[in-house]
This record gives sequence, structure tokens and C-alpha cells, in this order.
Amino acid sequence: MSCQALQSLILNKSVVVLVGSGGVGKTTIAAAAGLQAARMGRRVLVLTIDPARRLANALGLSSFGNEVREVALPDAAAGGSFHAVMLDTRATFDDLIARMAPDEQTRRRIMANRIYKVVSDNFAGSQEYMATEKLYDLHMSGEYDLVVLDTPPVKNALDFIEAPGRLSRFVDRHIVKWFMTPYDEKRIFGRVLVGTSGVIFRLLAVIFGREFLEELSEFFQIFREFMDGFHERHEAVVQLFAHPDTAFVVACAPERASMDTAFFFADELQARQIPFGGFVVNRVHRCTADGLPVGALLGELAGRLSADLAPHTAASLLARLEMAHQRLRSVAEAEAPRLARIRQVPASFVCELPLLDQPIRDLDGLLDMNRHLFGGGGGA
Amino acid sequence: MDLRALFAGRLIFVTGKGGTGKTTLALALARVIAGQGRRVLLVEIDNQHPSLTEHCGRAPSYEPVEVEPRLAIANITWFEALKEWLGHIVPVRRVVRLILGNRMVRLFLDVTPGSRETVIHARLMQLLKRYDTLVVDLPASGHALSFFRVPCKSAGLFPSGPIRRTLEAAVARLRRPDTHLVMASLPEEMVVNETIETSQALAELGSWLRPSLVVLNQAMAPTLREDESELLGRLRSALESAGSDEARELVRAGFWEADRERDTGEAILRLRQTLDAPLLVAPLMGAGGDPGNRARRVEALLLRTSLRRAGDAR
Repeated sequence: MSCQALQSLILNKSVVVLVGSGGVGKTTIAAAAGLQAARMGRRVLVLTIDPARRLANALGLSSFGNEVREVALPDAAAGGSFHAVMLDTRATFDDLIARMAPDEQTRRRIMANRIYKVVSDNFAGSQEYMATEKLYDLHMSGEYDLVVLDTPPVKNALDFIEAPGRLSRFVDRHIVKWFMTPYDEKRIFGRVLVGTSGVIFRLLAVIFGREFLEELSEFFQIFREFMDGFHERHEAVVQLFAHPDTAFVVACAPERASMDTAFFFADELQARQIPFGGFVVNRVHRCTADGLPVGALLGELAGRLSADLAPHTAASLLARLEMAHQRLRSVAEAEAPRLARIRQVPASFVCELPLLDQPIRDLDGLLDMNRHLFGGGGGA
Repeated sequence: MDLRALFAGRLIFVTGKGGTGKTTLALALARVIAGQGRRVLLVEIDNQHPSLTEHCGRAPSYEPVEVEPRLAIANITWFEALKEWLGHIVPVRRVVRLILGNRMVRLFLDVTPGSRETVIHARLMQLLKRYDTLVVDLPASGHALSFFRVPCKSAGLFPSGPIRRTLEAAVARLRRPDTHLVMASLPEEMVVNETIETSQALAELGSWLRPSLVVLNQAMAPTLREDESELLGRLRSALESAGSDEARELVRAGFWEADRERDTGEAILRLRQTLDAPLLVAPLMGAGGDPGNRARRVEALLLRTSLRRAGDAR
């Protein structure tokens, strides 16, 4: 199976980023892949955004708060350990500011600024941005051989990569400089504005209102003091994404919309020269045969096992199984051409994961998933 | 279930996690309303890959295009919306060009929190003047949330000026009783969680953001009797050690459906317990298939549901 390629990825890379549309099981795949690497002897951390409650409990993540938890493993190889953390966007943002601010007073001024509050809480993309920020932090700590990032669901496939840049541009040195020039440290309207900047400035004041621009100028003034550090850090994150020890894995379900997103994402990653590993197609419906003879296969056994049950139970259940099997078959048939298409994408692996009988709720569920992904191996 | 108020709505938002059948539901709803003789516009918001393309056979553009009698589609891209909005504030076209031509201003408008949502709200309000009803296929829940949060929460950032006025008008529009919110969900634990969390987050913004309808798609009603479930379990245990792959596959198909049924039951229970909204359970319509047909079937279900109610009332 091509899942060996995924295994080799999680054993050799130091950062694996899972991306894809929402609802395809990214968190579960991230957790399962991390677990496998840990069982094979690596020190692994899974950074997740918002796991299903039961999975969160299984990983010991009962609350938010950027707190790393170690998950006890029954059979890790020597040196292997498994950790998980759930991202807290606001706390990560505040941490970043605290680290960047030259002094306590600057930090307080930023925290009190209304624009900062809106940006850190509501800005479309601050979650994506902070996910990358936290990823960088954890990677640089040197405490883990592998950090697996489960990314937030994105509207447009590019948001995850672009949002950090977009937010960082908000404090772009050029924009800040341009903004600050006309009134030089003082309040905008205290000075006479001249030239094109002056005209545009007055128009911006008309559009946004004076109060907003004044608040913004304060925001920029404070930020200017540690803008360089801020940008250096963003550059470093971007470099980490493009580093050969990083790999992006695109997760999808064998549904048309999800696969279209996956193709688009893979294209964009490759166009940006970000290392793209391959696809994990989750919840593939497996159905091998057509029109199985239900009676011949199960009739005798069902009759024997239903002796103490209501009459006709065996007959009605068998009819039901025949219908269910037909439905499963039609779903599998609809998926087949989509899977064929994704296997043709060059220079990448495709790892197919069958729909499991039970939703994954605990460590055992993840181990079960890993048996499908990587075979019976793993562990010490 | 009385859906008449919803069908008579003027501004209807449809939201849900990706893959919940949101676009299909929005199209079905738009068709039902168009079928009542109203002129309907079905809108997507700033979608690089509009989902409506697959359903309607053509990509929606910024300017609405009629695709069926009384039904038009559009995709509100933010830069076009920004241009239009600026045009209303600064009536001199040359000045709008000057503003938008400035790289710094473009960057500034692009990154200023709330500016995207603001101009899109403005465009929606403009379009409302031209159509009887707008059905808005919102992006996935997180973004939908910020779409509503901006007018409700950012007004404090803009104590004066046109942004302030646009946001205030948007909130007034949202508060009107003929504005509705419809949520799509699926019988899966994570999706149901998300539906409930989004709904709660919206309710915190304002009680008027309560959904008028929640649609649980891909539902499978329980059909296995207790005896049959028992036998299915016994078959699985018996086949674990012995039996052919084919026999196991049949039993697996049975469990596949039974799991879906159990999840449907759990989803219905949780959505009913936590959301104060009518719940419409839409049956699984077979995977794949033509998206146009799926929308037709949801349309029929919506009509049947509302007719049933009209009959009860008599």
C-alpha cells in the first residue's frame, strides 16, 4: 500500500502539516499518524485545532489553553513519546506580543488597543496565523522529533497559507511607514496633509471615520517598535514551510467537492514550492463483489443463529443485507473514478483509508486506524 | 412544521460545515420560493471555486444571471463589492480609481478587520432592492460566524463614517423578522457539534440569529428490529473466525447502514435537545448522482413538509 510512503514521511520529517476541507477527518489522521511515529520511537507532538470531544478526551485534551499533554502509550519503542496540544488562538497571540514587546509598558498598550483586540479575536485568519506561530514555536523548542499540525478548516484552500501573510502585511513596514509619514508621530488631523498621500488620507478618513484612523495610528505607533522582530518571525515561519524537512499532506474524502479542493490545494502547494507529500483519502467505501448470493452465503448460518429469535428474523435481515450491500456497492462505484483520478497526480503518494466500522473515540480506535494505514507493525 | 414564514422571507442565509449539503439546500430553497412566483437571487460569497457552478451548469458572476425562470445566481467577490461600495460614497469615478489604484490603500482595505464583510453586506443590501428574495449560501461555519460578528461587534471600532452606517444598516436588516437563518447538518458527531456550537455562538451575537430551520441531511431512519440487530451481531461474531470474505462483506454492509441509523438517532436527539429550532430530517439520497437532481429532491421535501403543515392548520 502507498501508506508506506506516509509512514516514511512521519519517520523522517520534522514537521508534517495536514490540510484539506473540513469534515474529512484531518484531526483523526493527524493523531493516528503522530501515534504511529511515537510508537516507532520518535518524540511526537500533535497540534490540533478543535478535535471531536471524545477524541480530545482520548488524547487528554479536556480543555483549551495551549497546554501540552503527554498521552501514555502502551507499547512505544525506546525513546518514543506522544504529546498533544489544542491551540488557543488568543493566548498564542498574547504570547507572541509579550515576546516581541520591548518592555512591559508597550505590551500593556498593545493589549489595551481596541484594534489589537479585534484583530486577535475576530480577524479572519488569526486562527490560521496562530496555528503556524505555535507550530514554529513547538518545532524550535527542540523537544520533539516530529510536530504534526492539524490545520483549521479553510473556506478557500489557500487561506491557510495566505492568512498569516495577510495579517502580517497589516503591520507591513511599508504600509506603516506610509501611514505614519503625513503626520509624523502626532495625530493625523493635527497636521496639514499634502500631496497624493494627503488626498488619499483625507478620503480614508471619510471612509473609515477619524476615530478609527486615530486608533489605528496609535496601534501602528506601538507596533512600529517591534515590527522588525515580528517580520523576522514571519519570514522564519515561511521558511519552515518550505524546508525539505517539512511535508504537507492533503486529506480529503472521496467526494467530488472534497477532492476538487484537494487537487486545487496540491497544485497551489507545488506552485509555491512548498514540499508536498501526498494525499490521504479518508472514508473510502470498500465493496468488492457485485450481487452476492446472500442466501447461499449466509442463509444456513443465519437460520442456525436465529433459532431463539422471532420467526422470519433471518429472512428479513438477509433481505436487508442484500439492499444494504447494493447501496454500499453504488457508493463505492461512484467513488472509483474519483480515486482513479487522484492516483494519477504525479510525484505524490495516495493513501486510501477505508471507512471504519466505528467512529474513533479513543486510543484503541486510533490504533485500529493505524492497522489499516500501516499494517500490523509498529510498536516495540 | 410551518415553513411559510421562511418561504416568505426576504433575506435567507444558509450555513453549515463543508459537505453538509449547504449549496444543495440553498438551491432547493431558492427554487421553492421562485416557484411561488417571487424573483429570487441565489448568492455565493467570495468563492474562488463557486459551488453553484456544478449545480447550475455555469459559474455565477458578480452581476446576477438568470439561470431558471425567476431564479438568478451571483458570486459576490469582495473587490468588486468594494469598488461598488466606494462608488456610493465617493461619486467621482476618477477618485475611486485613485483610491483603489494606490497599492497601500488596497493593502490597507484588504487587511483592515471587517472591511471585507462590510462591503459584502452592503452589496447584499443593494441586491435586495432588485430581488424579492435573496438566498445566501454562506461559506463554512467559522467564516459565516465572522460574517455576522463583524456588523454586530465591530461597530465600536468605527464611531462615525460610512462603514459605521453600513454596519448599522446591516444589523437592522439582520434583525428584521423576514431575515432567516437555515443550518445544514449531518448525522456525524463532529458535524452535529459544529452545528450546535455555531448556533450558540450566533445566539450570543443576538437572539434574532436563531435558526428558522435546521436540516439534517443524509439521515437514515432505523429500520432494523431488535431481533434483526441481535442476529446481525451474532453473524459478525460467527464470521470473525470462520466464513468467506464475501459473507463478511455482506455483514459489513449491514453494519454500515445500522451505524448510520444509530448516528441519525443520536444527531436528532442532540439537535432537538440543544437547538430551539424546527428540525427537518432529510433522507440519504444515494451518494454521487447529479447535484441538480439532489436539489430537486430536497425541494420536493421542503414543499411536502410545508404542505403537511398547511393541511394540519385547516
